[in-house]
Amino acid sequence: MIPLENFLVLSAILFALGFYGVLARRSAILILIAVELMLAAVSINMVAFAAYLDPTRFTGIIFAIFVITVAAAEVGLALGIVLRLFRERASANVDEANSLKW
Amino acid sequence: MGMEQVVLLPAIPAAIFVVLALFSPLLPRRGDWLAVVGMAVVVVLALAVAFHFQDFFGHGEFDPSGENARAFEWLNLSNGLFQIDLSTYVDAITVVMLLVVSIVALMVMIYSVGYMRGEARYGWYFGALSFFTASMLLLVTAGNLMVLYFAWEAVGLASFLLIGFYWERRSAAEAAKKAFITTRIGDVGLLIGIILLWREAGTFDIQQIIEFAEGGGFDQRYLTVAMLFLFMGAVGKSAQFPLHVWLPDAMEGPTPVSALIHAATMVVAGVYLVARMLPVFDVVLVARDVVLYTGLITAFMAATMGLVASDIKRVLAYSTVSQLGFMFVALGLGSPTAAMFHLFTHAFFKALLFLGSGSVIHATHQQEIEQLGGLWRKQPLTTWTFVIGSLALAGVIPLAGFWSKDEILHAANHNLPVFVTLAVTAGLTAIYTTRLVLLTFFGEPRNHHAYEHAHESPPIMTLPLLVLAALAAVAGFVIYEGVGQALGFAGGIGQLIFAHEPEVFHFDRDLATFALAVSLGGIGIGLVYWWGTAERATRARGWAPELHALLVNRYYFDDLYQSLINYVVLGAGSVIAVFDKRVVNETGVDGGAQTVGWFGLRLKFLQTGRIPNYALAMAGGIVTLSLVAFYTS
Repeated sequence: MIPLENFLVLSAILFALGFYGVLARRSAILILIAVELMLAAVSINMVAFAAYLDPTRFTGIIFAIFVITVAAAEVGLALGIVLRLFRERASANVDEANSLKW
Repeated sequence: MGMEQVVLLPAIPAAIFVVLALFSPLLPRRGDWLAVVGMAVVVVLALAVAFHFQDFFGHGEFDPSGENARAFEWLNLSNGLFQIDLSTYVDAITVVMLLVVSIVALMVMIYSVGYMRGEARYGWYFGALSFFTASMLLLVTAGNLMVLYFAWEAVGLASFLLIGFYWERRSAAEAAKKAFITTRIGDVGLLIGIILLWREAGTFDIQQIIEFAEGGGFDQRYLTVAMLFLFMGAVGKSAQFPLHVWLPDAMEGPTPVSALIHAATMVVAGVYLVARMLPVFDVVLVARDVVLYTGLITAFMAATMGLVASDIKRVLAYSTVSQLGFMFVALGLGSPTAAMFHLFTHAFFKALLFLGSGSVIHATHQQEIEQLGGLWRKQPLTTWTFVIGSLALAGVIPLAGFWSKDEILHAANHNLPVFVTLAVTAGLTAIYTTRLVLLTFFGEPRNHHAYEHAHESPPIMTLPLLVLAALAAVAGFVIYEGVGQALGFAGGIGQLIFAHEPEVFHFDRDLATFALAVSLGGIGIGLVYWWGTAERATRARGWAPELHALLVNRYYFDDLYQSLINYVVLGAGSVIAVFDKRVVNETGVDGGAQTVGWFGLRLKFLQTGRIPNYALAMAGGIVTLSLVAFYTS
């Protein structure tokens, strides 16, 4: 059986990649994708813990399903915002969307 | 009527006040009949209380220390440590006060129907009078110092409202303010005194405090200080030296108000308070002496000022102050019977005099006695009732004032300086009373315009005058046992006051002759100087112009207080104003705002509007919190 640590390492790598993507990318679409990566990492974590530590119940798995649902909703909302942004400025570059400040 | 229902007495006028204040424009005649009828009911109830009281007394079942009906617990903090009950207390002093307040209030209200006819705020006037009466009845039935204090402030408020009834007139507004602030100085003392008593005795109940004091529970020096503070309240409310300055100015109010509040009832609240607490004053004789000498100074000073006052109501106001001084002298001498008896008779004849002066003012629209004269031809009823009141005030046998003044002189029998001062003051009383009567009603009219238009007042105004004149004539007889018993005062008023040690009245012929001689002498002097055109009095002014100026300027007390306010209060105020402007406002309030603004100006650049910056800050925060959670758990 694959040890639990492998899952955790995979999850950590995925999460770090997503984190980097959120911070470093300029395109709103790419930032969204990076956020999805982070969510996926968390879901892996939960499913793994559920299978290894408490196999008789499905708490972690159910949570993973919740995360997927919420992520879908979030993408739906966020893409709408990005679309409006693009229509307004002909660009999805988040650096240019900086008018909400002092 | 049982003692438990005594609380109805203040409740009835209070309810009428609420109705009149809210709905008087909707009622026929703006609701004046409601106030009058309500007051008549209260008079009946007060008489019922008096007779009920006698019932107990007559059958020997009466508890001499009075009946204490505990209404209900109002406030109880820390398990009885700080407890205020809404309790009533009825004893002989209360009965006297109930009768005085209710009868005079009824007469004044009937009179006001005529006097105030056609006034703006007519309904409000009756509402305010009802409010005053309710407060006053609560004050005299209170069994608890806190309830008493509440009622004490309520009558002060009513006095303020009614002095300032004609608030469009600047002088009336100023007088109302002066009365309120001056009495307030005393009221602060009263509150301090009450708190001091509570601190040691642990209760606000008057009877328990008296028992505690008589049992020696207080430290002597502590109790002296507490009682002096308590007395401060009485000094303010009863316009005693040095807080007497407000009462003459209070004459700005409508005349019936002066009769009710500033002659018969509210101003005697101080006398009532001291009489109520007299057993405690008896424990600390220093405090009682202060009462005595305050009263003595006031009685004499006010009488001298009354000699030269030129406004008919002001003469009566000084007379009231002076007579209140007499009552305090009696209390200071340890004779509550004499004080309460004088309070009882004074209420009737002084209310009569005020209502009589109101009748004159109503007819002539003149208050300066220099502008009056000869009115006896035009206003016979007013004149003769006024004369009866004046003779009662001067102390002519057999009118009411004679008996009560005699009792006070009797009490002062063993203290020669006090006795002499009182006798001189009684003489002065007779002189200024004679002057007032002669200048107002006799001689030749000095202002023909006012004289021509004068007419007798309508019956609704003269009826109360007649009733009060009758009372002023006969009220003194209650001192005789038989008369007192017939009227519900078991054993005459002497036994009424202190049932456990009845003071049986003896007619002291020598003293009475002396007192009568003093009164008649004073009247004689008055007749000599002011009869006819009063040219002798005018010449007499030339003998000592400085003295005349001193009296006319009221011993410069008002000027002294005005300069105190100008230099001390306003001076201190301007210093404090600078502190407020510089420290509180500029440093405190503005300083705080400026600090926030300064930081805001600099910190706003943190808001870059760039999403990655926010994301980074958020991530940094999460990491930091995670590390903290990890290392601290």
